[in-house]
Amino acid sequence: MSFYLPCPYCGPRPVDEYAYFGEVTHRPGPSPSMRELTDYVYFRDNVAGVQREWWQHRLGCGEWFLADRDTRTNEVLDVLLPSPERVREERLGSPPVGAEPMASEVT
Amino acid sequence: MRLPAQTGERIDRSTELSFRLGPWDVSGYAGDTIGSALFAGGRRVFSRSFKYHRPRGLLCCAGHCPNCLMTVDGVPNVRVCVEPLREGAVVEPQNVLGKLDFDLLRVVDKVGGPFTPVGFYYRTMIRPRRMWPLYEKFLRNVAGLGKLDEHAGHTRRYDVEHKKARVLVVGGGRAGRAAALEAASQGPGVVLVDESDRLLRSELAGVEVLAPARALGIWEGNLVPVDCGTVLYRFRAERVVVATGTIEQPLVFPGNDLVGTMFPRAVRRLIRDFSLQPGQRAVVLATDERGLEAADDLGEAGVAVERVVDLRESPLRRIEAQARAGRVRGVLLDDDVVECDLLVASGGRQPAYSLLAQAGGLVEFDPDLGVLVPTEHPPGVEAVGSVTGEGLEKVDPLPSYHGRGKCFVCVCEDVTTKDVKRAITEGFDSIELAKRYTTVTMGPCQGKLCQLPSVRLYAQERRVYETDIGSTTARPPWAPVELGLLAGRHLEPTRRTSLHFRHEETGARMMWAGPWRRPYAYSDYPEQEVRAVHESLGVIDVSTLGKLLVEGPEAAALLERLYPNRFGDMKPGRIRYGVLTTDGGRIMDDGTVARLSDDLYYVTTTSTGSDAVTAWFEWWNAVWGYDADIVNVTGALAALNLAGPRAREALERLTEDDVSAEALKYLDAREVEVVGVPCLTLRIGFVGELGYELHFPSPAGEHVWDRLVAEGAVPFGLEPQRVLRLEKGHVIVGQDTDSESNLLSAGMSWLPKLDKDDFVGKSAVELFAEREERELLVGFRMEENVVPPEGAQVVIEGYPAGRVTSARRSDEVGAIIGLAWVPSDRAEDGTRFEIRVERQLRGARVTHGAFFDPAGERMRS
Amino acid sequence: MSLSFLSPSRCAPGTLASPLTRTLDTVSDTAPWSEAGLRAEGVRHRLRDLSSDGKVEVRGDLDLVEPADGEELIRLSPRRGLLLVDDDPAEAADRLRTYGVRAYDATGALAGLAFEGEQLARRLTDLDLERLPAAGAFARIGAILVRDEGDRFRAYFPQELGHYVAEVVLDAIDGLDNR
Ligand code: FES
Ligand SMILES: [Zn+2]
Repeated sequence: MSFYLPCPYCGPRPVDEYAYFGEVTHRPGPSPSMRELTDYVYFRDNVAGVQREWWQHRLGCGEWFLADRDTRTNEVLDVLLPSPERVREERLGSPPVGAEPMASEVT
Repeated sequence: MRLPAQTGERIDRSTELSFRLGPWDVSGYAGDTIGSALFAGGRRVFSRSFKYHRPRGLLCCAGHCPNCLMTVDGVPNVRVCVEPLREGAVVEPQNVLGKLDFDLLRVVDKVGGPFTPVGFYYRTMIRPRRMWPLYEKFLRNVAGLGKLDEHAGHTRRYDVEHKKARVLVVGGGRAGRAAALEAASQGPGVVLVDESDRLLRSELAGVEVLAPARALGIWEGNLVPVDCGTVLYRFRAERVVVATGTIEQPLVFPGNDLVGTMFPRAVRRLIRDFSLQPGQRAVVLATDERGLEAADDLGEAGVAVERVVDLRESPLRRIEAQARAGRVRGVLLDDDVVECDLLVASGGRQPAYSLLAQAGGLVEFDPDLGVLVPTEHPPGVEAVGSVTGEGLEKVDPLPSYHGRGKCFVCVCEDVTTKDVKRAITEGFDSIELAKRYTTVTMGPCQGKLCQLPSVRLYAQERRVYETDIGSTTARPPWAPVELGLLAGRHLEPTRRTSLHFRHEETGARMMWAGPWRRPYAYSDYPEQEVRAVHESLGVIDVSTLGKLLVEGPEAAALLERLYPNRFGDMKPGRIRYGVLTTDGGRIMDDGTVARLSDDLYYVTTTSTGSDAVTAWFEWWNAVWGYDADIVNVTGALAALNLAGPRAREALERLTEDDVSAEALKYLDAREVEVVGVPCLTLRIGFVGELGYELHFPSPAGEHVWDRLVAEGAVPFGLEPQRVLRLEKGHVIVGQDTDSESNLLSAGMSWLPKLDKDDFVGKSAVELFAEREERELLVGFRMEENVVPPEGAQVVIEGYPAGRVTSARRSDEVGAIIGLAWVPSDRAEDGTRFEIRVERQLRGARVTHGAFFDPAGERMRS
Repeated sequence: MSLSFLSPSRCAPGTLASPLTRTLDTVSDTAPWSEAGLRAEGVRHRLRDLSSDGKVEVRGDLDLVEPADGEELIRLSPRRGLLLVDDDPAEAADRLRTYGVRAYDATGALAGLAFEGEQLARRLTDLDLERLPAAGAFARIGAILVRDEGDRFRAYFPQELGHYVAEVVLDAIDGLDNR
């Protein structure tokens, strides 16, 4: 993978500067059932198409942001900052723990 | 034997270069390739084929085929026909037992036997199973290409350099040069890459020329790595222009691999560039103009041209090369035998589309041209010249000509027409399946010479149009590349504390701890370091701990929501233990949280967890939007843990500040100036004795360390620390817990405060509380004097039922102690279970609480 | 409690050492790949250790920050920057806080190295050298890269990786010297 991903602040940068945290999840409200909780924690849509996902410009400005990326072509259609309003509306949940930047196999 | 000097020849006859081929001294001229020099010296056999060990000679003279692969100066698989000759080069033939001209494995070609049929190793070599190691050894010897010099990587240096280009042109033929000049007329930033070193740079004003060099592929974002020998340029180009031209294709007839068969352009190169006579008596089989041109070249070079057949006008049904000792001695054309030692034949020219196809472009069979052409290019990539099919004439040879003898579709992997036909009858009826079964297009040429012939053959055998066959997926690299070049330099990012060199000087054995280098112990007797901590005073470098500042009016609120336990009610100057969990309730990391002031917290994490925890905090804060900043100060601060009964007394001698038991209580955090350095001093007790963690500016690391050691503190490493913490039953996250462990199963059910509105993992903890945990983490004491290894099996009534995560001998406790996961109904204090150690079952008993000083009096003292 | 435990400038004189000094000093025997480690001697003169230069990490609205004379503000994002200072960075951090941002002395956190040569820079990073300063991958780690006049560059990176970075830079120089 060597596509450019536009950081909302730094502009297009090679993807290996970023840490990827997967598609967004939706955090259930208080007292979910075990089913609802495990759906949120373990299940992913894994679409072949455009998905909204979490990225962090780990080796650059450090910012977290959302990107709409086509998983088939790696075309990034949009990047957005996770405003609290957006988070509340979309009930965004936690990213997986400990993802590292893809870096730097090549750099 | 050279022809008389002629204009345009590449060789410089005034400069002779000598080199070695195996045991022989050979020579050539400056401007020669290794291949042309060897040819001039009379060598005709250049290699032995992959499977049958048939002799092979120069076929393409263009670096496309596998026939001239040799080891040059230790680098295997060099195409000597394009490798410039260097003085003193050491050249070794490959794939040979014995000598090139008399290869002992040649017998494979004669007897056939188990080697002949396609897919032989999938079928023949499997039984009996126990023989496989033997078979494998033999196969490794007879198959494969070249031998790797295990030490070669250390003698050659490879570098990587990043470059940018506005327009990157691949291929320096007429079309490529024109495209480069055109682009250069619009501004700078134009680069042209060509495989040969023959480009006239002066003709290309304003263009940066890289030659000889190879573009290995086109990746996303127009990343084009260019192989310049020992430097790999990683180009990022706004536009890539592919002008790779065409590749001559083999004509498929029996004996088409014999030494003495050549492509038309190979003939031209030998004659015009190197002034060599490719043979004495030649037959030319032409499918296009290039064939006829070769006939003219041969005539001019004084070669007797016995027969020229233009297959477009006079088609043949039967072509069969006849051999003596693997070399052409004649050719049967329909019913005529013509004697010759050179057979020039080609099946036309195929656009060299691989780069385009690899980059995601579309390739289709063009019935008007009879070849595969690229039809759609990936964004940002263009193609010009004959690679697009432009200027090509239709070629239409038979997919294979009749005759006796082996008839090769693929010379790299020794795949014959018979193999392909057999694959089809066995049901491998798509070209992709046939590729995997017969390995056609999988050899060193990567389809450059066999894609088109196999498509033609498939169409004929399956009685369908070539357009319906498709082509196999092309993958980079487009040209072979040395692995060392891809690997680049071999330095690994390594984190070192500011005391790293002091540890080394003190004799520490260093070990990896995540990305860090840390002292394992300072001698071969870590137990002595343990004793020093218990009896007097020790000091350990804990600078690797993750350290975060969390500051802001809402810092408390943020931490309250990140951690299962409470931090909002802490008084400034106090410390609390904290464990982070995920929303799935799993333990993620642990450490201490000190409140420095109302809106400033100081958080420590595990040594390997600092990056993940920082990202985790930042992410949740991006989501929740609290007014708090998270600053990772891990590297900014050195940290030393001064521990042992003498710790206070030592500290008092090194500071003017009040560090008495009343002023600095257990779990207090204070700023203390120690030996002239401001230290955030945390009174905590990971190792179970009275202890102080000093956190202070990294650059002062050695200064503070030296003064502590001068005060009598004995340096201790990770291993003694592990013993000490185990005596206290302290868990190491990631060592004793894994991604399935939760607070309840790890024995920390006291920690989460479920009356908080929300915290990460709250729902999970609530749900877990409703069920019983399957297994629990407990301490144990061995009944015997045996240390079980980490991961040893816990056995209950003969069945595996758990595992040991840590175990050490403790002199202080006088027993072997450890931590293990056991079934929850076996977790009662004193319950006996067994641990499998080297096939033997050894008894152990569950022990609740700390093994050492269970009341914690020593660390609170 | 103050944050002075972050500030090397609050330590008594004679207590501090740069994370790079040892590396640059020991390079001759830690560079087995160089034909003669001695060459490093010549190389060292082309590098300058900037580790002890004052650096302040700034969080908050960077537009509120007014750099004083001799200060250089590097913006990483609208809310995050690095201020390079000539004077006492601890005092600079205190001053910045009066503007309404949060500031942390990062002098000990970041090592710094000045070097010369565009080609050397290209061996170490694929950042666009025409668009500096920027934060990005440098020697395979995250760093802040600044360009001064001509071919002179400065890199700032975590001090715990200082030894590694110095090794990489020296090795790259070695590669260029031995073409
Ligand atoms: S003859 Fe050298 S690659 Fe074909
Ligand atoms: Zn960024």
